[in-house]
Amino acid sequence: MADYTVQCFILFAMKTLLICIGFALGVEGAAAQAQTNELRFVTWRAEAPQVWDQGIADFERQNPGVKVIREIGPQSSTQLHDLLAQKLKNRDTRLDVFVMDVIWPAEFASAGWALPLDRYFTADEQKKFLSAPLAANQYGGQIFGVPLFIDAGLLYYRKDLLAKHQLAPPRTWIDLVESAKIILARERDPQLVGFSAQFKQYEGLVCNMMEFILGNGGALWDPVRMVSTLDQPAALTAMGFVRDRIVGEISHRGVLAYEEPESLALFTQGLAIFHRNWPYAWAIANDPGKSQIAGKVEMSPLPGFSPGKGVAALGGWQFGISRFSTKPDLAWRFAAHMTGTAMQKRIALATGRAPTRMALYDDPEIKRQIQQLPALLDTFKQAVPRPATPVYAPLSNIMQRYFSSVLALPNTDINKRAGLAARDMNRALDLLRDRRSP
Amino acid sequence: MKGSQRLGAIFLLPSFLFVAIFSIFPIIESFRLSFHRLILTLPWLGQKMVGWENYSDLASDPVALAATMTTVIFIGVTVSLELLFGLAIALILNEAFHGRSLLRAVVLIPWAIPTVVSSQMWRFIFNDRYGLANLLLFGADTSRYLAPLADSYFALIAIMIAEVWKTTPFAALIILAGLQTIADELYEAASIDGATWWQKFRLITLPLLKPALLLALLFRTIDALRVFDLVFVMTQGGPADATNVLQFYGYKKTFAEGMIGYGSAIAVAVFSMSLVLSLAYLRAFRTSRLDGTRP
Repeated sequence: MADYTVQCFILFAMKTLLICIGFALGVEGAAAQAQTNELRFVTWRAEAPQVWDQGIADFERQNPGVKVIREIGPQSSTQLHDLLAQKLKNRDTRLDVFVMDVIWPAEFASAGWALPLDRYFTADEQKKFLSAPLAANQYGGQIFGVPLFIDAGLLYYRKDLLAKHQLAPPRTWIDLVESAKIILARERDPQLVGFSAQFKQYEGLVCNMMEFILGNGGALWDPVRMVSTLDQPAALTAMGFVRDRIVGEISHRGVLAYEEPESLALFTQGLAIFHRNWPYAWAIANDPGKSQIAGKVEMSPLPGFSPGKGVAALGGWQFGISRFSTKPDLAWRFAAHMTGTAMQKRIALATGRAPTRMALYDDPEIKRQIQQLPALLDTFKQAVPRPATPVYAPLSNIMQRYFSSVLALPNTDINKRAGLAARDMNRALDLLRDRRSP
Repeated sequence: MKGSQRLGAIFLLPSFLFVAIFSIFPIIESFRLSFHRLILTLPWLGQKMVGWENYSDLASDPVALAATMTTVIFIGVTVSLELLFGLAIALILNEAFHGRSLLRAVVLIPWAIPTVVSSQMWRFIFNDRYGLANLLLFGADTSRYLAPLADSYFALIAIMIAEVWKTTPFAALIILAGLQTIADELYEAASIDGATWWQKFRLITLPLLKPALLLALLFRTIDALRVFDLVFVMTQGGPADATNVLQFYGYKKTFAEGMIGYGSAIAVAVFSMSLVLSLAYLRAFRTSRLDGTRP
């Protein structure tokens, strides 16, 4: 009796196993068959989905039989990075093309995840792009990405409030604090704050703080000696200034938990006088449906600590191709199409995102529709990238920790904290010294 | 006899395979990786055996020590509050009253909501401009509004509040199950003897509830040790690392920085802690079961 049950069970188990195997093989087979004409593309949810849909549809029409499978990843750069890193680490062949934040190419190149594009992306073609985002895509003498749009930190301000109190737009951070204090004192609005920016402990904090540090003549690191420079005097005074005068005098504590959306919301609700953000904020701040201050906003390069010495952090997104892609030629055609003049123009017109192709800054339609863009060209040309190194992620986490500690703990000893942060950064950078020729 | 043993083994096989593939193998792999230096973004370093180096680095890493402290505080505060509130809720739900079954279902809602969703909700509640917490505390007086998630003390408290809200129902459920195993005769006898409510609670309910309380304590402690999603959604470890719990630190090391070896060492440390805690509790649990059944 028992033996009969056992036999039954074994039969049943084997059958299940066979079904499972068959199913797995079937799925694999189907996938392999479909894969020949499929291009897998990982991206975020685009701001102007109709433009992207159309761009992809155009590409599919021009390449009959090709199907672009879009996988929408997280909106946050950090989380999208982790998703892509997972896929690339596993050498996932179901990933061909992806969008890359400006800080990733060095890491993806060093890890052997991104395909060098030199044989597709010729020097002549490269000349048509702005040099700052192009440089961010180079690593070890090769190029790993095609810039799609460029970002740079900008200062937004309420021109109506400045005019009302007869103040000129600030040219230095000190001016900005003084002007904000005058307006705050005269307006007597308990909700109004002087400055809103991105001071939460996350990647954006590095951009914000590097603009202060570099604007004061300091630096985050010395790329030649490969050491941190956060403990140098210029960097230290800039940190003290942000803590004591920006956060301490004209901002509010809440800003220490703000990323871009929250800080922009405060500004568009008319509750902040000055605001630091990327170029995309312009369209939103001037959209009467989303902003209470439409038409009352002005935009300028960021101030420095002396006039004309402002520094903008470089941001922006690129197209990269996986080294494990089974159809790099097709992937390249797609990347070239999506970063081509027509697509960049459509994206710029729909979202206000700044193109990376220089010719578009002279395009009559763009000049007419996004009037402020040509004036920003100089800012884009001078924007400074964050350290381009394969250990950027650990460096960034160390810097985020340091910056957030200084801003959130008013009594902290900046010199001591900076020393610790510099030591940790140097340890991460030391990993690169072990490098034998690859 | 032999046949039925074989049958038993065969029946066990699927679940054994499941545990082996999804539990035992990853644990062994983490142990193995934790003795190596493996950095994804620096492939030329290779995968080098470094012995205990990752662990000695971990022991002298001030961030890891601070994260351990934060985690311990988080566990201590949230688990005690969850048991306290869980006990109170269970005592109420154990009484017979109109609409009790409805209330029992309602109480479970916070626990049933996915953590990512409730974390997002609490992030809104603690918002410095439009958050419900500020509205309840200060009404329309916006000048007094606080920014809990931007403060290095309140951020951790905010996360602990969210955790207690979310998992108290779970503790209540276990304790309620324990309450229902206590025979009514004991209370009737005590009433006849003229015992007060407090005496009945202290001398009957609490001792007989000990196994359930310990079970809730065990589950909640191990679960709190692994807190991750609340931090991930609400604060990303900030401000000033005030909410950087161990699991989040390990996640950042492994997935953001690609430090597979060091990240594995953190994972193994967390695993060892929960193992030690489980064993200690299980010991206590076993002795208390004997206590409970003693006539």
